[in-house]
Amino acid sequence: MNSYNNQPNFEADLAKFFNEFKNNFKFIGTGLIILFLLVLGSTSFYTVEPEEEAVIIRLGKYEGTYPPGLHFKIPLGVDRVIKVKTKKIHQISFGFVPQTSGRRLRFRSDAFDDESLMLTGDLNVADVEWVVQFQISDPFKFLFQTASPEKNIKDVSESIMRRVIGDRLVTEVLTTGRVEIAAEVQELMQDLLNKYDMGVQIFTVQLQNVNPPEIVKASFNEVNEAKQEQEKVINQAEEAYNKVIPEARGKAEKQISEAEGFAEATVNRAKGDAKKFTSVLLEYKRAPAVTRKRMYLETMEEVLSKLDDLTIIDSKVKGVLPIFQKTNESIILNKDKS
Amino acid sequence: MKQKSLIALVIILVVGGVFLKESVYVLNPGQQAVVTQFGKPIGKPKTEAGLGFKTPFVQKVRYVDKRILNWDGIPKQVTTKDKKFIKVDTTARWRVTNALTFLQTVQGERGAQFKIGAILDSATKNVISRHNLVEAVRNSNLIENKIKEKKKEISEKRAKGETFIEDELSGEVERIDVGREQLSLLIAKDASTGLLKFGIELIDVQLKRISYDKSVEKKVYERMISERKKIAEKIRSIGQGEKAKIEGRLTKDLQKIESEAYRKAQEIRGVAEAKSIAIYAKSLKSGSDFYEFMRSMEAYKNTFSNKSKFLLSSESKFLKFLKNGSLTE
Repeated sequence: MNSYNNQPNFEADLAKFFNEFKNNFKFIGTGLIILFLLVLGSTSFYTVEPEEEAVIIRLGKYEGTYPPGLHFKIPLGVDRVIKVKTKKIHQISFGFVPQTSGRRLRFRSDAFDDESLMLTGDLNVADVEWVVQFQISDPFKFLFQTASPEKNIKDVSESIMRRVIGDRLVTEVLTTGRVEIAAEVQELMQDLLNKYDMGVQIFTVQLQNVNPPEIVKASFNEVNEAKQEQEKVINQAEEAYNKVIPEARGKAEKQISEAEGFAEATVNRAKGDAKKFTSVLLEYKRAPAVTRKRMYLETMEEVLSKLDDLTIIDSKVKGVLPIFQKTNESIILNKDKS
Repeated sequence: MKQKSLIALVIILVVGGVFLKESVYVLNPGQQAVVTQFGKPIGKPKTEAGLGFKTPFVQKVRYVDKRILNWDGIPKQVTTKDKKFIKVDTTARWRVTNALTFLQTVQGERGAQFKIGAILDSATKNVISRHNLVEAVRNSNLIENKIKEKKKEISEKRAKGETFIEDELSGEVERIDVGREQLSLLIAKDASTGLLKFGIELIDVQLKRISYDKSVEKKVYERMISERKKIAEKIRSIGQGEKAKIEGRLTKDLQKIESEAYRKAQEIRGVAEAKSIAIYAKSLKSGSDFYEFMRSMEAYKNTFSNKSKFLLSSESKFLKFLKNGSLTE
């Protein structure tokens, strides 16, 4: 305070300043030490979340991998902690951007065509979209074996998918082959990634939309329509067949049954008639002449009594009617009488 | 005096720290290093992770990546042996096996990517242009077996006369001798000797995309469309053919059923009639005169109705009493 009006006394001022500084330094010093210890303490521990594992690098050397929980480490940059999400299933999609949650909108653009258009074995083009899901099986290898693991997985997946698709017919790719293709891609991918020893386990490979390219889609649909049409036409023909044939079979059976009925009837009638005749004949033979006469007369009686118009012509009458003028001997009995 | 010792202590600490930092270095996993003294490499490149020591200020550490690195090319237009214009996109994985050579020849990763690009592109062009397109598309002749199987299945079905929905088979598929995987191995083999000079080991090369050139692509699509149309037509005509077959079968079966029924019915009737004739004949033979008489009588009864016009001669036996009426015999 007095230093303002006592300028020449510089040395005394300096000594005083140092004195004050020394006192203050003690205070600041302890503060600093406490702060230092606090920082040291708080940087000696780290937590590993449930989905993670922690890789510890001690002065550049790999020290170990630690599971979820609270762990100790050497502070001051000696131990480096790298946390890796090993439980999480990572997903990479090819040929499309996966839809964001809640939105039904799916984003598609030509930019993905390069990724999704591929040649099939019969030199056709198919538009294949797929996803690869993987887990980090060895965090240390995942971190330090390759420079960009995700890029590797992406490249490998693309080339393997094309190799597998390239070995198949376009129709197989578009229809029946999906599951088989996915399984084969997964296997081959895993083989290759194991070769890189990069600590990645492929969880699954799934084919999403598999379509013919946009331009040729219509003609592929036409083939499907043709198949439907083919089936329809065949079914209709079968239907017509089924409508006619069983009926005809029934009718045929009817015809045969009728014939059998007729046969039965004919034979029975013949048998009956024969029996009747034999019986009648037996009696007839006992008195043939009189029976014959009786039968004749009875018949004539029956026949003639029914008639409304009966004309009796005498043999001596001639030409009753122009139509009867055939013989000279014809005579109408009535005229003769009158 | 106290202040002086304090200042000295600080100076010693700082200088010591700087010396320590200059004489010790940390090599992380995934790294390798070359120690140089005034630019001159000292000893072998260090590849083991951990702490390393060097002469402070005089020696410098240059770090090089030890991990597997990626190279991703841009699609290159190549003409195949069978004169198809295609675009080939390759990727490769590599790593530095000799850090010193690597640093001397390509300086860093960027330089390396550039060199790899040049070497791989030419190797790719060389290999692809020496082979037909299918060799780069397909990996095996698996597809041939599938086609064979399918054809066999179809012919079996056809032999059985089953109605089936025919699946399409488009065109013939050429045999391949090399295949996609082998081609990428050939490219890798071609390129790896060249890259060894740069201290680089080529781990693998993958043919990522093989696509038709835009001008060819259009034609391919046109071909695909016409092929599909052809297949659709074929399917339709097969349908019509099957329909005709069924219709034919319908007529045939109908005719058969009807005529068979007629034949059987006639046979049955014939047999029955023959039987009845035999029965009649057997019993009538014994009294054929009487039968004739009796049957005639019966016939008279049945043939005349009240509407018939009847002319009877007076000479008729029936009227013999009417004409020469005499009550006595």
